[in-house]
Amino acid sequence: MGQVMRRYGTAAGMAAIVVFFAVALPDTFLTLRNWLNISQQISMLAVVAVTMTVVMVMGDFDLSVGSMASLAGVVAAVAFTHGWPVWAGVGAALAVGLLGGLFNGLLVSVVGILPFVATLATLTMYSGFAFLMSGGKTIFGRDIPAAFSGFARGGITLGATDGRPLVLPWLTLLALGVTAAIWLVLEQTAFGRRLYGIGGNAVAARLAGVKVMRLRLLAFGFTGVGAATAGLMYAARVASANPTQGSGLMLTAIAAVFLGMTMSAFGQPRVLATLAGVVVLGVMDNGLTQLHVDSYVRDVVVGAIIVLAVSISAFGRRATGG
Amino acid sequence: MAQLRGAVQVVPPPSSAPRQFAMPDLILSDIVKSYGAATALDGASLHLRGGEVHALMGENGAGKSTLIRILAGLERPDAGRIEIFGRPLGPGGAQAAGLRFLHQELQVVAGLSVAENMHLARPYPRRLGFVDWGALNRAAATALTRLGLERIAPATPMGALGPGDQMLVRIAATLIADGGAAPWAYVMDEPTAALTGAEAERLFAVIDSLRAGGAGILYVSHRMDEVMRLADRVTVLRDGRSVSSRAIGQTDQARIIHDMTGREIATLYPDRAMPGGTTRLALESVVAGPLSGVSLEVAAGEVVGLAGLAGTGRGALLGAVMGAVPRQGSVRVDGQLLRADTAAAWAAGLAWIPRERRAEGIMPGLALRETVALPHLARMTRAGLVSRAAERATVARLAGDVRLKAQGPDQPCAELSGGNQQKVLFARALAGDLKVLVLDEPTRGVDVAARFDIYALVRGLSAQGVAVLMSSSDLPELIGLSHRIAVLGRGRVAEVLPAEGLDEAGLLARCYAAMEG
Amino acid sequence: MGLQAIWNLGEVLDVIRNTILTAARRALLATVATAFAATAALAAEKVAVITPYLAQPGTQFYVDAFKARAAELGWDVNVIDTAGDVAAVISRMEDVVNQGVDAIVINVDPAQVGAGLQAAADAKVPVFGMDAGTDPLIVANVTSNGYAMAAETSVYVANRIGGKGNVVMFTFDPFPPVQVRGVIAKAVFGNFPDIKVIDNVTPDVSDGGIADSRAKMEAILAANPEPGSISAVWAAWDQPALGALQAIEAAGRQNEGIVITGIDANPQARDAIATGGNFEASVAQDFAGIGRTTADTVAYVLGGGTLKQNVVYVPTKLITAANATDK
Repeated sequence: MGQVMRRYGTAAGMAAIVVFFAVALPDTFLTLRNWLNISQQISMLAVVAVTMTVVMVMGDFDLSVGSMASLAGVVAAVAFTHGWPVWAGVGAALAVGLLGGLFNGLLVSVVGILPFVATLATLTMYSGFAFLMSGGKTIFGRDIPAAFSGFARGGITLGATDGRPLVLPWLTLLALGVTAAIWLVLEQTAFGRRLYGIGGNAVAARLAGVKVMRLRLLAFGFTGVGAATAGLMYAARVASANPTQGSGLMLTAIAAVFLGMTMSAFGQPRVLATLAGVVVLGVMDNGLTQLHVDSYVRDVVVGAIIVLAVSISAFGRRATGG
Repeated sequence: MAQLRGAVQVVPPPSSAPRQFAMPDLILSDIVKSYGAATALDGASLHLRGGEVHALMGENGAGKSTLIRILAGLERPDAGRIEIFGRPLGPGGAQAAGLRFLHQELQVVAGLSVAENMHLARPYPRRLGFVDWGALNRAAATALTRLGLERIAPATPMGALGPGDQMLVRIAATLIADGGAAPWAYVMDEPTAALTGAEAERLFAVIDSLRAGGAGILYVSHRMDEVMRLADRVTVLRDGRSVSSRAIGQTDQARIIHDMTGREIATLYPDRAMPGGTTRLALESVVAGPLSGVSLEVAAGEVVGLAGLAGTGRGALLGAVMGAVPRQGSVRVDGQLLRADTAAAWAAGLAWIPRERRAEGIMPGLALRETVALPHLARMTRAGLVSRAAERATVARLAGDVRLKAQGPDQPCAELSGGNQQKVLFARALAGDLKVLVLDEPTRGVDVAARFDIYALVRGLSAQGVAVLMSSSDLPELIGLSHRIAVLGRGRVAEVLPAEGLDEAGLLARCYAAMEG
Repeated sequence: MGLQAIWNLGEVLDVIRNTILTAARRALLATVATAFAATAALAAEKVAVITPYLAQPGTQFYVDAFKARAAELGWDVNVIDTAGDVAAVISRMEDVVNQGVDAIVINVDPAQVGAGLQAAADAKVPVFGMDAGTDPLIVANVTSNGYAMAAETSVYVANRIGGKGNVVMFTFDPFPPVQVRGVIAKAVFGNFPDIKVIDNVTPDVSDGGIADSRAKMEAILAANPEPGSISAVWAAWDQPALGALQAIEAAGRQNEGIVITGIDANPQARDAIATGGNFEASVAQDFAGIGRTTADTVAYVLGGGTLKQNVVYVPTKLITAANATDK
């Protein structure tokens, strides 16, 4: 009973949320157009949360992803203002993400600072860099090439309904691609398996021949690149970059991973479970907006659902004595 | 009840009578407990009297832990009675009725003092609303003195004590009045699992003094020698039933093993195979931890045991061989120089069974196939992807060799018993191209039957030419398994003795002699 | 992933939807949808107001006035705050378009929410700006006239000093709405042959602008020690005006008749003006008026009207000691 609740309680709750909105919003919720919308809206969060899963598998986490996302957007935008082509600006931003992630990894694995402290410090640093580079201002308008912002508006046209085109957005495809890649890395490669070993017991993993220090360092690199990717997606979507625009992503991404963790037997983070957590958060935003629920009430409801999911999972764990 | 209380009928205890006038005793009868379809206890009975040490034995999975959890009030039995002083166990549980529990995992706060640790679950003495440190330390000192532990100062930080003294402090803590019933009985679950020989000796002395003071002690242990030495009575559980309860004088080691396993184990230690001759593992001038230069060779098929008093660096030597602790000097396997890191060690055919299974070996959430595959992943990938089929095939191939009892390769390790977890680690060691097996306390916390399986396995590997380097604080085990025994002392190998014909007392004497140099 | 698969997904969703609708609707609709049915029955106009800045005081004035006017018009208003998240404004615009609102009001730079504007345009949902900015996809932006505000205070200064004297200007060109104010003031002063702009300062605004403006003003005062050598300080917004006031008072030159003006009439500026000191005037935007006028503009367009201009200006008010304490 407890076992069942622990494994499937969250999934059942997620299904219940979808059914609730489907009934309350009979004409607009369960439409392909709305789900394409949701998929685009959650694409940035999905990329951050899925790559955050890589470090959370090891029992670490990265608080700096939000400011890294802001920084990456600003780096690209500043590059554009200096006349760099789109590929070069994007490449520079991703390189900054990789370096920032590896720096986090260096602090955590080689220097041995607790992830909370190390990434709290780099959160502040990366945010400072973003303010320095942008001069504290929002970079927008002619400085942002149309080819860059156009990516966030485009997609594969699937057809048209009600005279409006039905588009599978590039952002959605990108998020799916990142999710698939991270799933492959975590679930199917020796690298991912070793990360789960570190998460299960870092001492035991080292004694079993896992190069803990090197792997931890690399894993943070994934998260840094993911954060930068999400920052670029965000900048493209709002066709602008400012030094704080990514800051909301960090806590929501961690919440999504935690929500997903309630679905696995031993509370391990899993990529697909994280994606499910992201979808639930996106569906809540979409559905509650359509239901006219006050934005502040929406925050309370979303927080309450996270508490509920984690409580049910904890209760289930106690009931099975695990 | 009546037949057990006959002796004290002269003072018939009315329901309000103070407890200390009644003959202390605890009766568990016909306890039944199931978890879903699995029956953990199926008619377990036990009678603990004051003034006796009562050993509870059984293989892993026999139901000892469940019985103790029920007694502690952590689980509710499905059927059966628990009576203390002839009354059903009240809602306050065993703690309120004067029982105290000491678990093998020590729960101490290393940063607090001994006295504070002793008061953790009790109100601190106060004066004017502030903690009265003088009274706190005096209460602690009084309790420590009652157990003859004057040498432990109440103000010492708990973290500065060894695990043995920490255990003794926890026992002393139970003697501090806490407003509840005075303790009259102790449940000790594998108390010596983390202790060195000398520490265990001090614990035994304390147990003797508690017994002399009229306390009853329920003593759960896998160590036959301890039980034979300490216990007045032994109750054996098998498959959730109590199969025998005998006074120690009316039983012996073979009989207890028979009761536990339901089968005869003729000899605990299988015959030694002859070692092959060529050197597989060669250590030269290894410096690590307390070791100042150890040279040692292990031939193919040979089992070399490491003996030595606590602190002589047995663990450090094994860690240095595996590259888990920094080292100087050289380690060669089949003549090849080995880099000092664990990944290189596994790749070269070394495998390690660590001492602390839970802390150093098992990753609870990982499936047992994942645990087995972890050091060998490079060999189990196809086109960069881990082959689950290869993992399952490996587990299937090895499960029989190590006599692993599990539902299947995908079962999480957390769901396995301690003995089976140890067998998973053995399977992991065998999964590669094994050349040198490094064993650190290979049978700690493992029941008798699993222990026998492990001995047979080590023998079999040795017969196949695997070199084995092992450390064990269980001297009979060390003597029984090894071809040669290296005695460590003063940072080096003092001497290497043939194990054949050595006895426990003789080996211990050599260990002390090694310290003299 | 092929297109066929996505179409199939659409069909699957339809099947799921129909199943759920027939089976569960009757059971849950009664409890869940009663409230929504009640509002739907009125067939009221549905208008969504989406802002990332609801926590800021000015925005609250707009939104409250908008809601009050909308209530008189019998509209069903949904106010959504994304707490600073601009991308979420786009997401919520997509959501309310999908939900089928009749109009959307935003107060964020339209250049940053182009994707949301496009989604609304595709669905033919009109979008209005409430002090937002202009954009081809915005029907109209309702705001205060920055040119007029600058004209008000610069003309006030020119008149007070009798059309002659030395003037210090505080401007800030990097921010377009403030830049236009400086342009206008310069043009006004240029029209008086006896007014000389002796300094044009761009203060560092990273700490709000007061401290650096004070430091800059102190330097200017030191360079012009003669009483009467500075007749007025014109500031493009209130913070530099407050900094200049502090500098003048600290230098003990508050009795030389130096006239200071700002723009925006924030509470601190109103207090300074009310004391009757050197800080004499500022201009207040009519936030409530912007909210009300936005509602009226939406009503006009939804009623079938067409607007010629894409900016609607709401009158501003000059604040002096005479009316600084009015609400």
